[in-house]
Amino acid sequence: MEVNVIVAGVGGQGVVTAGTLISQSALVKGHNVVMSEIHGLAQRGGSVSVEVRIGNIRSPIIPKGETDLILGIEPIEAVRAAENAGERTDVLINIGPVEPVSLSMRGKEYPDMRELVSEIVDRLDVHFIDALPLALEAGDARAVSTVMVGAALQLGILPIDEESTLEALKKRFSERLYTINEKALKLGMKNVLLALHEI
Amino acid sequence: MKELLQDSPGSKLFLLGNEAVARGVVEAGVSVAATYPGTPSSEVGDALYQIARESGINFEFSVNEKVALEIAFAASISGLRSFVFMKHVGLNVASDPFMSIAYTGVKGGMVIMSADDPSMFSSQNEQDNRNFAQFAHIPLIEPSNPQEAKDFLVEAFELSENEGVPVLFRTTTRVSHQRTNVELSPIRKTKTVGQFEHNSGKYVSLPVNARGLRKKLEDKMFRIAVSYGKGVLNRVENNGTPEYGIITSGEAYNIVSDVVQRNGLKVSILKLGLTNPLPRTMVEEFLDVNEKIIVVEELDPFLEAKVRSLVQSTERKNKVYGKLDDHFPSMYEFNYEVVSEGLDSIMHTNIPTKVSFELTKELPPRPPVLCPGCPHRATYYAMKRAVKMMKVKDPIYASDIGCYSLGFYEPFNEGDTMISMGSSEGIANGLSKAVDNQIISFIGDSTFFHSGIPPLINAVHNGAKYLLIVMDNGTTAMTGQQPNPGVSTPGVNGQVSIESVAKSIGVNFVRTVDPYDLGTTLRTMTDALKQDGVSVIVARRECAILRDARLRAQGEIHPYAVNQDKCSKCMNCVENFACPAFFISDGKIDINPTLCDGCGVCAEPYVCPFRAIEVRQNGS
Repeated sequence: MEVNVIVAGVGGQGVVTAGTLISQSALVKGHNVVMSEIHGLAQRGGSVSVEVRIGNIRSPIIPKGETDLILGIEPIEAVRAAENAGERTDVLINIGPVEPVSLSMRGKEYPDMRELVSEIVDRLDVHFIDALPLALEAGDARAVSTVMVGAALQLGILPIDEESTLEALKKRFSERLYTINEKALKLGMKNVLLALHEI
Repeated sequence: MKELLQDSPGSKLFLLGNEAVARGVVEAGVSVAATYPGTPSSEVGDALYQIARESGINFEFSVNEKVALEIAFAASISGLRSFVFMKHVGLNVASDPFMSIAYTGVKGGMVIMSADDPSMFSSQNEQDNRNFAQFAHIPLIEPSNPQEAKDFLVEAFELSENEGVPVLFRTTTRVSHQRTNVELSPIRKTKTVGQFEHNSGKYVSLPVNARGLRKKLEDKMFRIAVSYGKGVLNRVENNGTPEYGIITSGEAYNIVSDVVQRNGLKVSILKLGLTNPLPRTMVEEFLDVNEKIIVVEELDPFLEAKVRSLVQSTERKNKVYGKLDDHFPSMYEFNYEVVSEGLDSIMHTNIPTKVSFELTKELPPRPPVLCPGCPHRATYYAMKRAVKMMKVKDPIYASDIGCYSLGFYEPFNEGDTMISMGSSEGIANGLSKAVDNQIISFIGDSTFFHSGIPPLINAVHNGAKYLLIVMDNGTTAMTGQQPNPGVSTPGVNGQVSIESVAKSIGVNFVRTVDPYDLGTTLRTMTDALKQDGVSVIVARRECAILRDARLRAQGEIHPYAVNQDKCSKCMNCVENFACPAFFISDGKIDINPTLCDGCGVCAEPYVCPFRAIEVRQNGS
């Protein structure tokens, strides 16, 4: 078995947190996990991605075209990460945008969502979720990344489940934060993923 | 990070390579550790900083890498185990004592870690610091993953102590920033007090002593080359009936292993952890068994050159493949495709490589940016305006290493040079000799202490003319908010005043401003631009990340919003101040309340002359 995941987003969105959660859940399941964190120059606001590889492998770098899941916490970053996609890739996109300063500085607006994702929806299995309202419902905007992991569980691509992920959350968080994240995970799992025409 | 101290051999922790190194420091019983932070090595210091007191390790963030290395050396010759670590270019700064302590040797085990950065994710170059081990004639150890980062480090201390020689421990970004499960081993007890023995001439690098020490070093290295074979560091893996032998190390080994396993290649792999000196006996045995040898390593043909030399000097018949005959590139990090194509060009394996998706439309770029609330944004904004007000023609901006390097990007474009730590001032000294332009240097507080003081002395002594802006945010921000000499920790660290340093050197114009106060900052900058000689402005304001954490805990962050009735859409805020919290929607400028940290600088009339930016009211 070999499952490769890219978590992509903007610095400060919980990209590393989501990658670590998937990894620790896979460890609970007894799998070998190699995760790669590349920190760029900016503390906040730049593109950030982590790669999680589950299975009998050693290198943290995913071979070209062999990504199973792109977990895109930000739409532009999700599409950018699709450069590493291949025929077996599913993409899960949180439709909440973080506007890049490169646009506002030139007086430009965030691209139309459907236009933005148009070229990947034609060629990959793309699913959407509006994670922020669910995170707020769970009790904290910062739980967006946990909502996303919950939503990813629905796709059945990752060799992890609710039980192993809750155990990983328990290891990671204090009781108060665990309660919020448990709720966030469950909301992510239960919420219907959206199709292109619904966004 | 407290889990790094648990004494439970056999249990496993999910650790970043750098955290595993910190655990290795604990397991090896290191007494003294020092660093200057630099990515990709920074997390080692962050971990040690948190566990130092409880573990009994005497750890410090030193003023620069040279001082850190000398601290570790002093501890070692006092009989204590010591560890010093830095990013690859940090070893350039520390290279002066580094080259000499190879000769004097050490007493307590001493390991120097260099975290290299192939592909330059966060660096100015991708120098292969394995060459430093060869240059200094000291042993070199390269781990491939977090488990080895910990286990090999303990082994490095054993080797160093047994042979009385400092050891270079080299990771790369993909090892330092790789996270896997790591199995713990027992913890060696830490000695807290050393004993200095007066050893006539051993630690005094006068020529008369150095000549003898040189010979002793060669003897040590010869001993290591012939006696260190199989064991923790080096191993041979056989796959099927091998047709080729692959010699590899570090992250290159990980990729080779994946390519071989996945495609069932019939090869024998010599996986080296000790790469200088080459473990000669073991390599010769491998050459005897495998006629065709492929060397797979990232960056320079370091191992390859050694293997080719060994083949030639021992008159062997092996055929050697690698970079020198163009099967593998000598730059950038390797990946699955590079290694499989390289192996295919030699072994004709016909490994299928998949095609990846190609995006046809261009996406809006998201380059690194200064954070919302970053005081540097205000400083750069004010400087640009001051230059305009004073009609300074074609100023030259000499920048330095830190978050403020990002002033290079639009809309500020305040970065004409940025070379090395402290170079904003060294280059300003030179430019003031070479051209008539106004020269403006930017340096951070930590970089000023690291290597910005000698060039300021030079400027006063040799009469250079430039304006130095010390951007003091009270932390070493870019590497993750480590403390520096400008910050005091009561009872632990003393505080050094940047203004006092500048004044005592003899700088006449020394002023301090709060960059959030744009008006005063602007006036002070215009005054400074009228000065002759060197002048210094300390722009002091806490790093926004530290400030936000403090205010968030108190529930005291009050974001701003744009009052659309007052906004004239002059676009000055988005075009020239360019805070990431601004966005444009339906033709209107607004502020993202989750990104805005309420610094309020954009609300000043120097940014919004229409006073349209106001504290956000609930529901607005």
